[in-house]
Amino acid sequence: MSGHNLFGPRRLSIVAFSFSFAYMLSFLFEGRVLYGLLEMHGVNVSAYIFAAMIAHFAGLLTCGLFVRSQSAAKSIMLSGMGVCLVATVPFFFALSSLWIIGLIVSGYFSGGAVAAWGFFLRAFTPKNDRIKSCADVLIYSNLLMIAVNVVAMNGSPFIGLSLAMLCLVIGIAFIWILPVRQENDQSKTFINKTHGGIKNPLILLCLFVFIITINSGLMYQVINPAFGHLTGLVSWYWAVPYIVALAIMRNLPMTAKRSRILYIGMAMIMGAFISFMLLGRKTSDYLIVDTLMLGACGIFDLFWWSILGDMLDYSDNPAQTFGIGLSANVFGVLCGGILGMSVTSIGLPGAEVAVIALTVVCVTLVMLPPLNRQLVLLLKSHTYLAAYDNMSQSQQKDIVRQIKTLDPLTVREQEVLQLILSGRSNREIAAALFISESTVKTHVRNIFSKYDVSSRAELISTLLKNQMV
Amino acid sequence: MKSIRNRRDGYALLFAASILLAIWHCITFMLKEVIFFAAISCISLLLLVRQSRLLYDATLIYANRILGVPSDPISTPGRQMNKDTGETVVSTFGILMGSKIYRWGLDGVHGVRLQAAQIDTERMYLAFGDAVQTMKVELLHGMTQKQAVLDVAQKLLHETGVRADITGW
Repeated sequence: MSGHNLFGPRRLSIVAFSFSFAYMLSFLFEGRVLYGLLEMHGVNVSAYIFAAMIAHFAGLLTCGLFVRSQSAAKSIMLSGMGVCLVATVPFFFALSSLWIIGLIVSGYFSGGAVAAWGFFLRAFTPKNDRIKSCADVLIYSNLLMIAVNVVAMNGSPFIGLSLAMLCLVIGIAFIWILPVRQENDQSKTFINKTHGGIKNPLILLCLFVFIITINSGLMYQVINPAFGHLTGLVSWYWAVPYIVALAIMRNLPMTAKRSRILYIGMAMIMGAFISFMLLGRKTSDYLIVDTLMLGACGIFDLFWWSILGDMLDYSDNPAQTFGIGLSANVFGVLCGGILGMSVTSIGLPGAEVAVIALTVVCVTLVMLPPLNRQLVLLLKSHTYLAAYDNMSQSQQKDIVRQIKTLDPLTVREQEVLQLILSGRSNREIAAALFISESTVKTHVRNIFSKYDVSSRAELISTLLKNQMV
Repeated sequence: MKSIRNRRDGYALLFAASILLAIWHCITFMLKEVIFFAAISCISLLLLVRQSRLLYDATLIYANRILGVPSDPISTPGRQMNKDTGETVVSTFGILMGSKIYRWGLDGVHGVRLQAAQIDTERMYLAFGDAVQTMKVELLHGMTQKQAVLDVAQKLLHETGVRADITGW
């Protein structure tokens, strides 16, 4: 396997996924290829795009049910991409029902392949570098998409389609030579001790992603049509600010505060909508609006992709976790798109549409900081708990003793607290202490009150923060 | 506890019936009746919520019993002694006597908490309250063995952090 020596498994997995993802972006979702082909036949583009997105959403969501190991992930990626290749062929021929079937099939299987990549992201990229791997994938795939777009716009959609398929073939070739690594027992043990699972952080992240991407979907429907006349510029400039934002985020020092970057993104997205309302529809106006909007999208996307990448360490099935996280993204885009379509189809003047869109953006963005705070707390608690597991019993007891409470804990509360710190859920604590779950909840509430905290994550970080330092 | 559950079920039935009747009258455009049954629905919903919370607390108290005394009298200073046919349960989270509940340890450091316990040969004295007021209750514990008393005191300490003062044994 000379490919291994040339690239290394990490780079190999990035290249393989970038090419495959470029096919999805340029053909299925964001690129001009499918739009061009459908417009040539004068059919309703939205119905086709939404069908592909719904299928992609289903593929992302269900992949974890079939993929439970790295070898299965590789098989799914290979077969999924193979099916996509076959399902794309009908687009070279006259419009038929095979087009919609092809879109649904490729949407579903590409979803499965994307989710399955979660195994390789976890296996080949160290935790602290996942933000870089995610950024690399998004940068390379978007660069490829721009190239395909330019060809499709200036040449023919069929040439664009051929290039998208070429990306897919190259992606398949790289997936073929991806090594499959057996996860060692130590990492499996760690993953299995995931402290009550990652259900709560994942739900929170999905909500976070959903809110962010609602705005993206809305943007496609509200801003894009307004600059429809700048076709040439849009074909190549559209994703440039996105790529630049990703590149900046990728190279930020590890010490940079993520929450501050989130606020910058929020300011940019609001600035984009306000500019859209105040400015005209000239080239310079497009450059301003698109730079702000897509720059913010780049910030947000890498923000949640990296959190999702970090979460893979706490997951028993990375394909499932990765798939669920990304499905929230697709669902958000879908809902935002439907919302945008509904707003634009009422026939209101452009300014009023922009005001409605801006209101939705403001309302959704206001929810981001508290969600981010909760998410950070939950992820921190996982990190702390992992460290807690490695401590001796006496060290664990010292931690509880060292922190002062508003009132001393009872023996029962101490028992419950020790179990919380060992990562047990309320149900597991109830089973361990032979008491009911509502009793555990009441003890947990009392413990929160005595430590003056409002959540389990806050309790864990309060107790273990000093120790970690 | 049974009486609390029965009352909760009664309110639930009343709520369901009044909602159905309100909807029915709404369909038939009888405005006065709609308002009447909607008002009953609101009241019964409030009572249902209150009774459900009471039942939750009672269940919690019953599930975490420290001492159970069948058909036990309970008295509070300045009030007449009550008699209840149900079992009296002293628990981590309060006392349950028939349908009457004295709660503690359910609302964290700032809520009502058990403050002191004393056990003599006949009675158990419990003081509980918050920063504003304290309440005392006494009950006949019915224990005849010293070991049983020690066990109860130990359990009380383990669950509530209150060391019982044992006298006369």
